[in-house]
Formats: sequence, C-alpha cells, structure tokens
Amino acid sequence: MSEYLLQMKNISKTFPGVKALDNVELEIKKGEVHALIGENGAGKSTLIKILAGVYTPDPGARFFFEGKEAEISKPLDATMKGISIIYQDLSLFPNLSVAENIYIGRDSHKKPWTKVKWNDIKKIANKALKELDMDIDASIPVEQLSIAQQQMVEIARALAFDSKLIVMDEPTSSLSAGEVEKLYNVIDKLKKQGISIIFISHKLKELFKVSDRFTVLRDGKFVGSYDAQDMTEPKLIQLMVGRNVTYEKNQATVEVGETIFKVNQLSKEGNFKDISFELRKGEVLGITGLVGSGRTELAQAIFGISTPDAGTIELYGKKLSIRNSAGAVKEGVAYIPEARQTQGLVLEQSVINNISLPIISKLKNKFRLTDRKQEVKLAEEYVKTLDIRPALPHLDAGNLSGGNQQKIVIAKWLSTKPKVIIFDEPTNGIDIGAKTEIHKLMRKLANEGIGVIMISSELPEILAVSDRILVMRHGRIAGELNVAEATQENIMHYALQGKSNGKAPTFVAESNQMSQGV
Amino acid sequence: MKSIIKQKEFSIFMIVVLLCVVLSFVSPVFLTFENFLDIIEGNVVMAILAVGMTLVIITGDIDVSVAAATTAVAVIIGNLFSFLPDSWISILILFLIAPVIGIIIGAINGLLVSKIKIPAIVVTLGTLNIINGLVLYLTNGQYLNSSNFPKPFLTFANFEFLGIPILVYLLTAVAILTWFILKHTLIGRSVLAIGGKSQSAVRVGINYNKVKLFVFAYMGFLAGIAAIAQTAYTKAVDPNGLLGVEMMVIAAVVLGGTNIQGGRGSIQGTLLGVLLLAIMQNGMILAHIDTFWQKVVTGAIIVIAVSYDQISYRRQQAKLAKIEVEA
Repeated sequence: MSEYLLQMKNISKTFPGVKALDNVELEIKKGEVHALIGENGAGKSTLIKILAGVYTPDPGARFFFEGKEAEISKPLDATMKGISIIYQDLSLFPNLSVAENIYIGRDSHKKPWTKVKWNDIKKIANKALKELDMDIDASIPVEQLSIAQQQMVEIARALAFDSKLIVMDEPTSSLSAGEVEKLYNVIDKLKKQGISIIFISHKLKELFKVSDRFTVLRDGKFVGSYDAQDMTEPKLIQLMVGRNVTYEKNQATVEVGETIFKVNQLSKEGNFKDISFELRKGEVLGITGLVGSGRTELAQAIFGISTPDAGTIELYGKKLSIRNSAGAVKEGVAYIPEARQTQGLVLEQSVINNISLPIISKLKNKFRLTDRKQEVKLAEEYVKTLDIRPALPHLDAGNLSGGNQQKIVIAKWLSTKPKVIIFDEPTNGIDIGAKTEIHKLMRKLANEGIGVIMISSELPEILAVSDRILVMRHGRIAGELNVAEATQENIMHYALQGKSNGKAPTFVAESNQMSQGV
Repeated sequence: MKSIIKQKEFSIFMIVVLLCVVLSFVSPVFLTFENFLDIIEGNVVMAILAVGMTLVIITGDIDVSVAAATTAVAVIIGNLFSFLPDSWISILILFLIAPVIGIIIGAINGLLVSKIKIPAIVVTLGTLNIINGLVLYLTNGQYLNSSNFPKPFLTFANFEFLGIPILVYLLTAVAILTWFILKHTLIGRSVLAIGGKSQSAVRVGINYNKVKLFVFAYMGFLAGIAAIAQTAYTKAVDPNGLLGVEMMVIAAVVLGGTNIQGGRGSIQGTLLGVLLLAIMQNGMILAHIDTFWQKVVTGAIIVIAVSYDQISYRRQQAKLAKIEVEA
C-alpha cells in the first residue's frame, strides 16, 4: 500500500472565460495535517470542490485513493470514500436538530424509503459531541446555536462519519480562542487515529502550528509541496504571492488637524456600550477587536442602519441625528460594508451605473432626466484616479477582480463627497497587491482631509494603515493606542483580556481570531 | 409540557378552540357532532391536497396546479365509470388508476422544476392552464351526474363506520402515511433538508432533483386520491367544481405553520390549518355573512398569519445576533 491516502493529478478546471485550475496536483499522506494555501482566487476552493465531487474537473484528471485509481464525480463518491468537507460557509440545516445535522448524509446511498433510525442518530451524535467536549442539547435545531457552536457541529459531523480525510476550510474563522484550542486537540486526536486533514487558513501562525506539510497554489497553478520543517513564514509568503511582501508598520507622523467627527457615549442594548472617540483631520482611525466584539454593529449604528439607544454623534461640531442610511449620506457619512458583493455593489450592472448610483438623482440634464453623459464622465474620472482595471467602465462590476470591485465601491461613495468614510474590512478577500493599493488610497483620502475610519481584524493591516487604534472587546472600547506604541501583541492583549488586567501579554499563538499573517 | 405549549401547532389549536367558543355563541347549531362531521367531510378534498402541498412548500416550492390536476383525474374517472362493471373490482381499479394519472401529472411538474430548473410557480401556472383548457375542451364544461356511476362506488361513497363517513378514514390514512414519510423515512428527511438549505443538501449527497421530483409526484398521487374523494362526496363530476381551490389549499398549509420559504412545517399543523379555515367558513355561513366578505376575511387571515410567522422568525434571529456587552 502506498503511503499516500489521496493523490489528485492533472487537475484542471475551466469556467467560461477563466481557467481556475491548471494542471494542479495534491498528495495527502495518511495521518498528516496538510495545509493548502494560496491567495484568494488561487484555486483552493475550486480544488476542494473537485475533491468533494461538487465540481467535475476537465478531462484528464486522475484520482488515487488508498493507492487505487478512483472516481469522484458526485458528492456521494467522496462521502462513500470517507472524505468529509467542512466548508467555510458551513453545510448545516438550520431547521433540523443538532443530532440530525451530525448524522445526515450517512444514508444518502440508501433507498429513499429506508426507515430513519432515530435512536442510532441520537447515539452517534451524542458520541461525536462528547468527543469534542461539547455540552449542547442535540435535540434543538441548529438555528438556535451560535456560529461557533455551528462550526463545532460541523466538525462533529465529520467525526461521526468515520472519515479518512477531513477538509477544514478556514475552520477557526468564527471560533473563540478556547474553541480553537479545542479544535487543535481534536486535530491531534484525529492524527493519532490515522485520519488525514487538509487545513485551509489564511492565518500563517496557525498553519505552522498544526501542519506537517504545505501545498502552495498560485493563480490556479501548482507551486509545490513542502515539509513544514523546511518552511519559514517569509518563504511561504513569497511562494504564495511570487514576490516578497510584508507590510511596513505605519511610520508616518501626521499633522493632526481639527476634530472632524466625534462620538460621545454611544450605546445600543445588546450591541455596544459607552463608546466615545474623536476623529481628527488627516488621521486614519483603526478599529479592531475579535469577531463579535461589536465593531460592525458600531459602524452600522453610526451610518444609521440601526439606531443607537443613547449617545451623540457630531460632525464638525454639528450634532447629527441620523435616522437611516439615506440621512447619513446626506450628512456626509459613507459606509463601505464588509460584504462587498451583496451590500456594496450591483454585480449585474456596469461600473458606470454602480459609481453613479448614490448621486443619480443629481445627474440631470435640462429635461430633468438622468444625464448619461455626466454619469459616464463621473465614472471615467474615478476609473482613472483610482486606477480601476480594466479601465472599461461599461463592463459589469461582477466581471472585475475583488480589489477592483472594492475600488468601485470606494468610487461610488467618493462621488457623494463624504466628510467621513467608514471602511469595514476593506481588504477582505482581496489579494496582496490590491490590498496595498487600497491601503495607500485610504491614506491618501485622509491626507486630503476626509475622516477615515477603518475596521479590520487583520492586525498587520491595522498597524500598516492606522495612526490611532481603538480595540473593542465585548461591545466596549478596551484600549486606545497610538500606532507608535502599538504591536500585534498589545492589541491582542486588549482584544482578549481588556484593560483591567495589567499583566504583560502572554499569549500569541492562541490569538487566533485575528489574523497575524498576511 | 412546556415544549408542547411552545410549539406552533399548539397556538393554532388554541385559535381553533377560541373560534369554536365564539361560534357556539353565534349559532346553537355550531357545536353539534353532526355539524362538525359535516365540516370535516366537506373539507376532506382540501385536506388531502393540503397534506401533499405541505411537502411541496417545505421544499420551498409551490404547486398551483393541484385543483386542476384533481379535476382532470375526476373527469377521467368519471368518463371511465361507464366502462367499469357493477362490481367491487371497479373500486380497486379506481384506486389504481386515479393515483397513477395523478402521479403522471405531478411528475411532469416535478421534471420541469428539477431537470429544466423552471421556477415551480411558472411551471404549475402553465400546467394549471393547460389542464383547465383541456378539461373544458373535453367536457364542454358539462356536469357529469351519478347515473352512469357503478353501484358499488355509490355504496362506497355512502359507507359509514361507527357513524363516521368513509372519506374521513381516507383522509386519516393519507395524513398518517404522509406524516410517517416526513418524519421517519430518508426521503422525508431529505424533503426537510432541502427546504432548510438546498446547498447543504447537495453537499451531503442528497439527490436534489430526485427529492423535488418526489414531492411533485407525491402531490400528484394525492391529487388522484382527492379526485376519488371529490367524486364520492359530490357524487358527480363538475369540471368547474374546484376552480380556485388551490388558493385555499395553500392558505391552509401556511395557516398551519408551514414556512412559505421552506424548511419548516408539519402534517399536524396543516390539518389544524384546514380545520381553522373550514370552521371559519362554516361559522361565517352560520352567521349569514355574505360570500364576498368570507373571501376578504380568508385573504386577510392568510396575510396576517404569514406576517406573524416572518416577524417572530426575525425576532428569534435578532436575539441570536446579540453581543454580550460587558457591564
């Protein structure tokens, strides 16, 4: 028998107009944790979907499972071989019980009239939950669980399946530090049982902690597979991006001008409490904190998507009473949401229509009808100043890359001539080259006198762009730092333990909710 | 006990009870066994269709061709009657042929929805019109009375056991069968899974197309059974007798707590939904309220029920999204 559990060879996948994968290979040994890494759009997800039988690869692809040539052409093929996939967006059924969610799929190969054995389902589910030290009632529907608990249910399902290979796609993205520790323990246990794991993550520290080997993909091509001992972080980054990139910490000393924006004792029940801060001309204010610390909720309250219970917001000394997002736009506040594709853009519409959208009512000709010429001119200007590529404003926004889509969203809000812009995870899902450009753009806007607030959970990004950093924890501001005194460690300290604890920060590896890599 | 009270079915049941109390004051006839049996027997067809519709709606789809399909099967068996002998075999043949025709109609809907991926509302609006057109062409809109029905069928239609008409037993059988499928078989769980999240269902290896085909074919199967019930109840075939009934069927399912966007629903709830609609109509008749007002009230109740469902669901989601703020 070969030492490999799985070998995938000559894997290519062509989508209309795009070659997502080009002759990629992946070899997984028995009982190893194998990290699959690459930038967004490198082809990791496509490769996993082919392994899962969700996508069919181009002809010529070959699979070997436990040394024998195998066929994976539908999800059931993968399941029957003992391959479990934990997708980042999870594959749970919110309406079904925890137990059934853990069990489901086991019987997919059986006849449709097979009687469901509820006792077996409960037994198997409880066993898997126990292995994970999870204390939840298996009979409640999954929709009543937190995201972190849902993630654990998904892992329990893979355990219950007696899987030989478990793929974990960004499994820690919504887990708390304690739960991440638990996950590491589970991974160790699985390894000892001879189960192989493919681990996908953007957090390099985490990858080095758990992985035995790495396979690197870049632009849909296979770069190579490496043993973890022979690998260092900078080398890995270089392999991923094909060039050397690390962020420089922001060294600039900005001339801080007058106060643009002031938030005073802002509170919203169940979201955040007593938030006060000032934003001054010329500076970028970074807001960070763990997922679920209330950052996004704060931004949405400022922008009028939700209404705060108490507190005031002032813009250039004038008290704002923002009741909805239209009011915020009118007052000169812009919010660039995290979910760019669903909340920021109309993907099926052209770049022009997207950019002109917020001020369409102002672009009128002499007949009081929308002036297409002005629209085009506006879009062309921004395409030029923000360097949106390709420079074809008539293209549908959906056809552009993540970084350029984000520039369209920024252009769209710039057209409203905002006084303050809140960026929520502005470089989420954007590759490194484009990230740097977005960072420069935020700096430039701040220099031009627009108030820039950036929410991000990527610490290197926070350090690279902000002049001042607010760290949120459990809905409160746990700490405020100038960039000169800030390090990843002391930010994490505030994010995890708050300001009450005066001890020196002792954790580094556990701080998994905020990415420390690129 | 607490969990029973929390269930949606319980609140619907309470509304039914409340309505009964009110109606017993409005009319002394209301709270009699005979009136209740009449209500139930008169709504067996709607209930059978609603049971099937529950599965369709749980998967997140809809079938507006059910009433037309039922009429089509009824017209076919009505015409078949003159060829059937005056023997009990005829009943057996009937119970074989009617469901099969129903399944064929349902399967056509199901194939169009699953294979060609046309939204179910479009497919079934199409088949609804095709069937209605064909039925009118074939019958000239004419009523078929019981003169050429085989005698055993009329005996069957009038049969009572323990004072309860046969159609009520038929409905009970249909309800138990469907409840069992939904609760205790693989295909039934797949129906709920697809309604909960179809993407997840595909990922865990559930055959999406097969499940969709099943729910529509099963709907057709029950339309076939409903056609027999309708013919037995009215002892006639009226090509226009069920016009618009699909709306009542869908209303009953939604009233019974099935989520119109799929994923949640139960047979018990649907039966209560049918009962609620039926009692309301009966009550309005007993209270001499004009038929057009009955329509207004029915429509309003549907909108209120769906709104209530959505609002309470959103509240629940909002509760989950809360962050623990440090005091």
